[in-house]
Order: sequence, then C-alpha cells, then structure tokens
Amino acid sequence: MSPADFFQAIRDSWLATSVRESALLYPIILSLHLTSIAVFGGMILMTDLRLLGWALNTTPAAEVIRQLRVWKRLGFVVMVTCGILLAASKATDYYANPYFQIKITLLLLVGVHALVFRRGVYGNPETLDSAPAMPRVAKVAACLSLVLWLGIMSAGRWIAYYEKPRESQSTRTAGAAKYS
Amino acid sequence: MLAYDPASNPLNNNEWAFPLTECFHIGAMAFSIGTIVLVDLRLMGLGLRRRTAAQLLADSELWTLGGLMVAITTGLLIFSTDPKAYVRNEVFLFKMTALVAAIVYNYTIHRGVVTGVASGFTRTLVAGASVVLWCSIVFAGIFTAFI
Repeated sequence: MSPADFFQAIRDSWLATSVRESALLYPIILSLHLTSIAVFGGMILMTDLRLLGWALNTTPAAEVIRQLRVWKRLGFVVMVTCGILLAASKATDYYANPYFQIKITLLLLVGVHALVFRRGVYGNPETLDSAPAMPRVAKVAACLSLVLWLGIMSAGRWIAYYEKPRESQSTRTAGAAKYS
Repeated sequence: MLAYDPASNPLNNNEWAFPLTECFHIGAMAFSIGTIVLVDLRLMGLGLRRRTAAQLLADSELWTLGGLMVAITTGLLIFSTDPKAYVRNEVFLFKMTALVAAIVYNYTIHRGVVTGVASGFTRTLVAGASVVLWCSIVFAGIFTAFI
C-alpha cells in the first residue's frame, strides 16, 4: 500500500467522511481545537514565561509546572484528537501539504523536547525555585518551547493557504519540455 | 465620504500578510483567554491553588490586557479585508456582542469577585460564566467563516 492509498483509505473512512460532509461537525471540531489552543495553549505560554521570569513571578515555578501539568495533558489530548479528526477528513490533501509536514515535524520535536528536559527542568521543578537564579537550562527549555508551539500554531494556519501545484499544468510543462 | 475599496487593502494583496495577521490573532487569544481561565480555575478551587485568585490576577493581568489589545487590533485588520460581509454576518455580530459583554464582565463583576469576598458557590458560578462567555467567542470566530 502506497502512502497515497493509505491516506485515501483514511479519508474514505466512515469517521473522516462524516466530519468532512457534515455542515456542523467540521466547524464544531475546529472550534474545539481553537478553544483548547486558547485555554491550554495559554497555560503552555504562561509556564514558559514563568521560567523566563516574565509572568506569574510571585508563584513558585514548581507550583506552575506541577499544578498545570494535568490540565495541559487534558488540553493536549483534546487538541490532538480534534486535530487528527480534522486532518483525517482531508487526509489526501494534508499529507502532501508542506505546512502540515512542518507541523507534524514540530510536534515530534515537542516530544523530543519533553524527553530532553524532563530531568533538568520539568521532572524536578523544586530545584528551579531553590536555585539563586532561574537555571539557564530552564530558560533554554522555555525559549525552545515557545518557538516550537508558536511554530506549530503558525504552520497550522498556513496549511489552509497552501495551493498544490496543478497537475495538468505540470504535465503540460513537462511534456512541453520533453518535446521542445 | 471617502470610498473604501477592500481590494486596495494590503492584507488582500500580499500572500503572507493575512495568515500572519491570523497567527497574531490566535496567539493573542491564547494569552488573553489562557490567563483569564487560569484565574477562573483558581476561583473554582482548581489549578494554581497555593496562590489566591487575587494574587494570580495581579500576576497575569498585564498579559491578559496585552493579549486582548493585540487580538482586537489584529481582529480589526481582519475585519478591514471585507467589512461589508462581516457586518452582514449574524454570527460575527454575535461575536462582537459577546466580546463587549465579556470584556465588561471581566473588568467589573469578575474582577470584583476575584478581589472581594464571595462564597465558594458565587465564585464558581462567576468563573463558569467567564469560561463559557470567552469560549463562545472562539466558537463564534470559527463559525463566522462557516455560516
């Protein structure tokens, strides 16, 4: 099975077809996707800004990291579930869309980020507050997190603006080149 | 009266300008609504429980205000790309009504309950209304494009 067949099968699945063809389901899922960006994406941003010392400064960093963890996980699940449904409904367009590919790559890098900084930052946040100043590793983690998430958000928006090269045109050009 | 032609709007004539404006709109939305919901969760006894709601508000309100200002500015830019269609769109009109209501609510009733002494029930109710109000604005923003 080629990737094209695979994504065609996803697009043709009952669930993806329902999302695509319902006048209400698609915008409702998209709204939920955006609402979780607003609520839980906001928490990610505030955690990063706390590590950089720009927000919530009277709240210990450990408190921000530990108490928001469950909410950010919940939000991540809602966000990703909605995202998968939206992408599946247009799977054949999405997999060939460079902005979608960038978005998925950045999401994978978020996973790498979590693994890399688990020991030094997120897994043991009390050490961040007991240090005389916020450790550099925490600030680096926060900056990278901001770049990754704002990148994911931007790539997501740009997916909608990508126009795939028209096949007839490229065939004509190739053909013209071949016979000229 | 000066005639305004949206076709002359730079946002309609540059490949990058419109999506970039939308990115700022969404990012600012995350800052403003994210910080408001952080305070709402605390009002409900959830989230950052070692701080009072009033402390959290004082600690995050500049980001809320900054987010709102950027979201409104970029929103006006997006509106300017096709004002006639927006003013005819009922979902958009609902969004604007809900936005004005949410801002007034946030800086009057909501702030009063956060900084004052209210019962747990009142605090939960006020926080719940805040979350519903702000989320309805996000929904209306999406549905504006689908109606």
